[in-house]
Amino acid sequence: MMNYNLNSLPASDLKNSTWVGLKSLLKLVEQEKKKIVLAVCAILLNSSLNLLGPYLIGHTIDKYIQTRQYHGVLVFAGILFTMYIVAFVSSYFQTNLMGGVGQRIIFELRNSIFNKIQQLPVAFFNENKAGDLISRVNNDTDKLSQFFSQSLMQFIGSIVTMIGAGIFLLVINFELGLATLVPALLILIFTRGISPWVKHKNALNLKSTGGMSAEIQESLNNFKVIIAFNRRDYFKKRFDTANRENYRTAIAAGLANNMFMPVFGLFSSIAQLTVLSFGIYLIIQGHFSIGLLVSYLSYATNFYNPLRQLASLWTSFQVALAGWDRISQILSLSSNLVTVFDHSTEEKSAALLEFRNVHFGYQGGFEILHNISFSMEQGKTYALVGPTGGGKTTTASIMARLYDPLEGTVLLRGRDIRSYTDEERAEKIGFILQEPFLFTGTVRENILYSNSRYHKFTNEQFLKVLLDSKLEGLLATFDQGLETAVLSGGDSLSIGQKQLIAFMRAVLRKPELLILDEATANIDTVTEKLLGQILDNLPKETTLVVIAHRLNTIENADEIYFINSGEVSLAGSFKEAVDKLMSGKRVS
Amino acid sequence: MKPQVSVPNKKIPRVFSLLKPYSLMVMLLVLFALISNGLNLWLPKLIGQGIDAFNTGNFAYKPLLIKFTGVSFVIFIFSYLQGIVQTYTSERVARDMRTRIALKISGQSFAFIEKTSPSKLLTNLTSDVDSIKLFVAQAIASIVSSIFIIIGASILLLGINWKLGLTTIAIIPIIGGAFYIVLRRVKSLFKKSREVIDWLNKVINESILGSALIRVINSQQLEYDKFFDASNRAKDIGLNILRLFAWLIPIIVFTANMAGLTILVLGGHYVINGRMTIGDFAAFNSYLALLIFPILVIGFMSNVIAQATASFARISQVLDAAELPETGILTGRLSGEVEVRNINISYGEKILLKDLSFRVEPGAKIAVIGPTAAGKTQLLYLLTGLIPATSGEILYDGQPISAYQSETFHSQVGFVFQDSIMFNMSIRENIAFSDTVTDQSLQKAIATAELKDFVDSLPQGLNTKISERGLSLSGGQKQRIMLARALAVDPKILLLDDFTARVDPQTESRILGNITSNYPGLTLISVTQKIAAVEHYEQIILLMHGEMLAAGTHAELMGSSPEYVQIFNSQQSTSNYEL
Repeated sequence: MMNYNLNSLPASDLKNSTWVGLKSLLKLVEQEKKKIVLAVCAILLNSSLNLLGPYLIGHTIDKYIQTRQYHGVLVFAGILFTMYIVAFVSSYFQTNLMGGVGQRIIFELRNSIFNKIQQLPVAFFNENKAGDLISRVNNDTDKLSQFFSQSLMQFIGSIVTMIGAGIFLLVINFELGLATLVPALLILIFTRGISPWVKHKNALNLKSTGGMSAEIQESLNNFKVIIAFNRRDYFKKRFDTANRENYRTAIAAGLANNMFMPVFGLFSSIAQLTVLSFGIYLIIQGHFSIGLLVSYLSYATNFYNPLRQLASLWTSFQVALAGWDRISQILSLSSNLVTVFDHSTEEKSAALLEFRNVHFGYQGGFEILHNISFSMEQGKTYALVGPTGGGKTTTASIMARLYDPLEGTVLLRGRDIRSYTDEERAEKIGFILQEPFLFTGTVRENILYSNSRYHKFTNEQFLKVLLDSKLEGLLATFDQGLETAVLSGGDSLSIGQKQLIAFMRAVLRKPELLILDEATANIDTVTEKLLGQILDNLPKETTLVVIAHRLNTIENADEIYFINSGEVSLAGSFKEAVDKLMSGKRVS
Repeated sequence: MKPQVSVPNKKIPRVFSLLKPYSLMVMLLVLFALISNGLNLWLPKLIGQGIDAFNTGNFAYKPLLIKFTGVSFVIFIFSYLQGIVQTYTSERVARDMRTRIALKISGQSFAFIEKTSPSKLLTNLTSDVDSIKLFVAQAIASIVSSIFIIIGASILLLGINWKLGLTTIAIIPIIGGAFYIVLRRVKSLFKKSREVIDWLNKVINESILGSALIRVINSQQLEYDKFFDASNRAKDIGLNILRLFAWLIPIIVFTANMAGLTILVLGGHYVINGRMTIGDFAAFNSYLALLIFPILVIGFMSNVIAQATASFARISQVLDAAELPETGILTGRLSGEVEVRNINISYGEKILLKDLSFRVEPGAKIAVIGPTAAGKTQLLYLLTGLIPATSGEILYDGQPISAYQSETFHSQVGFVFQDSIMFNMSIRENIAFSDTVTDQSLQKAIATAELKDFVDSLPQGLNTKISERGLSLSGGQKQRIMLARALAVDPKILLLDDFTARVDPQTESRILGNITSNYPGLTLISVTQKIAAVEHYEQIILLMHGEMLAAGTHAELMGSSPEYVQIFNSQQSTSNYEL
């Protein structure tokens, strides 16, 4: 069974996930190859023009100003002007191309994270706090995006300039060049040495930021409880704890990040001192000249200035890497609900749905369902009853394949349910969840959510459809009818109204098997009668599975299953089911 | 509620004002930055002196080494100190800002949170605070040292040759103008980009919160398409911003290069005419190089300041929101008497409750019955003071809610919400949600809500964390925890919102029995769908479309209200099986 808890993935998985993630990042870069080559050409051109400029100015001074030939000055001014215009154009293309690459990479990355999240099963969402997930997808991608859109180009530009200057340094005088580059080597060693530590500090900070967002999200979304129980102080206290923790990790990360700048500065000063003292030594030895020393110093500056810039970029690189790790944890996960090939086609079962020796328990918890077997026939109505916490919702979730059993099989029309594609399954099985969920939009949009059949219908045509399905009466409680605004998670609609929308949404999809998990619990009994008539009006082949506490909801059931303590038993009749329910035979 | 943001000072963005309490740290920060940057200017001079000394034959290694190493080390120390102060200042500003916002939010009404929307408040507390943090960490020190360098270099330039100096300094307004034009155009794009990011976040949030539904319907592709639209838009805006910025750097570099060219041509002319020395000419070039970097820094930092200003304005809307009126001073035990007098609630055109009046005697049990969207939940919200009435009064012992100290009031009115609200905490913390809960009342509440067996069956008992590591509670279990939470405060009045919906009939009747025997004298107001459970209540109120259609005992209503009879009949067929 897959562990989906992102905050408790084992360390080996973590390392692995960074690799898997990095590979997928490289794949993204692959597509941008051409653009990157072009951009690097622009960067090379621009950097060499920038390096050439001071040299030409020096040449003009030596050759023409010192010798008072104003004409030569003007000629070189003309050459420089042309060069500057070329540099202007190449610099524009450099930014535009490289920045574009960054934007597109982050675009692809964002899409692939979202796509990955769409592929993961419900278990993944149950094991992670919504606030933490949202923080990972929004906040951590943002950190990466900042790096790609702002720092990457400077990063590459700095490296190119550095390499150019480094080549100049070594070509002019190899010995002195090596001596000049020694501090850079020390910087490299230093950076390599502390980077993992810095990255770790940043990872801790991102984690506490995620924790804080989750805390805020939870408190703000449930603010009415905080008010009604006068726990405003509690909200403050819990927030303060998260805030303090975030402050502590942020200080640690900030102090670590600020290590680079001073150290890089110190080493580049040492490099200059090396050039000066070693250079003078070489001049005394007769191997070097004063003029060369002056230009050498400027090339050393050209080498160490971008290095210093890299120091500040390195920080954002570390932050981006830490964010990347958290994202690649998600990218490395895969769904445990794969579609399998069912080779046992010969055993045709008359049942529409069959459970065979099904065992189930949630990740890290006890076994909830013990060896359950039952079958359901097409066109019949089944009721699942039993005390709270007995396993009814879990059973229904397995029917809709939100989870796979740990042991045993579920057969849909005699075939392993795992052999159906998601599309086929979703078309056959409708499931009205206990907690109705609505998207921000209108009532109409929510009823027609992912329903292509009526998508293009005008409101009049659609109302006709509702009328035919006897659903239009349910719209009465919405003051603007189909166009009533819906705010996801808001209190603008009552739970009963949300359940009505969820009901219409499921019924209009015309599934073969419709599961109602306390789907009408908060709807008044008069409207519920109406819902009953609507269900009766469904095609005769439709199989219904109803979970309810209210007895009138289940009295029309053909069969009643009693679910308690993870065991399922068939109640002979309605009367027997009620007796069972009333007799106090419950453990929970 | 429309918070009036006071007119910001034109010259200094308001965001600077928030630095006041940290002035000592900010001064230290600026001081350290000036010292390390100032000393950095000294290093080239030392090298120059070394070369001059060598040229004149006075070169000695030792003093140069000592001086150079000394200065480098002092720079190292001060830039490190600057980093430390910078980290502490910015993080402290961020922390305190968050605390202030949270404090403000914690004192606000439910209506405020709903109206401002939790996700916007989350943005205020996270990314808006972050951009202010960035401003403190990067903008202040670099702007001050940049201005310092620009002024210094300008003075030096003008001192050498004022004509050439003026021509060189002319690049400052040109570069400034370029920044102004680009940033002004970028600003509207930034605003759009933020809107798109909000949109993106909304799609992400809904796809996470609605994950189960999406998987049942198999609408992942649809969600992906929604996301793709937003993501694509974000990319386009990003590319537009990039295109503008892509002009900025070439323009600046080109302008600086032109200044260099002017120095070459004009300065060269002066040198050839003998009106300027070659040394001054060289100095001009090096000071020009010195001038450009700080101009760039100020340009980019002005962007950071603009973003921080925008964030601060958004945060100020929360901070400047009106305080809730002081709660009252009444303390002491409530008798349990509740009176609802001529209550009306409407949101705009929509009327939720209309001229509603009734009275509940101490210890009485009343039920509110009615169809979906009748206004039942609003009535309960009103009774707990979660939402205000448009007109009319709610009186507890003859006094409005606002007259009571909120602690006193809320510790005597228990509310079981219709939707299951669990916090990511232990069961104990979820139930003992208020400070005043004693162990005894906690146990009593657990026993009353029939949770004892369930809690005992958990290996960690009350300390089991909810909704982490696979512990999935059923709807009924959550509902009972919510009940225990409301009972744990030992209330005088208990409000139940459709409590029975997710609890099986047998448990339900046991729980209601427990309440009667464990909490004698409790006033109970129960919103429900099931008549059978409330038949014996003192009063049943029938609510429809926000209006009280009928009120009375079961027997009275059966005789007088056809709508009540209709509801009763809808439940009749099975009533012989109810207990």
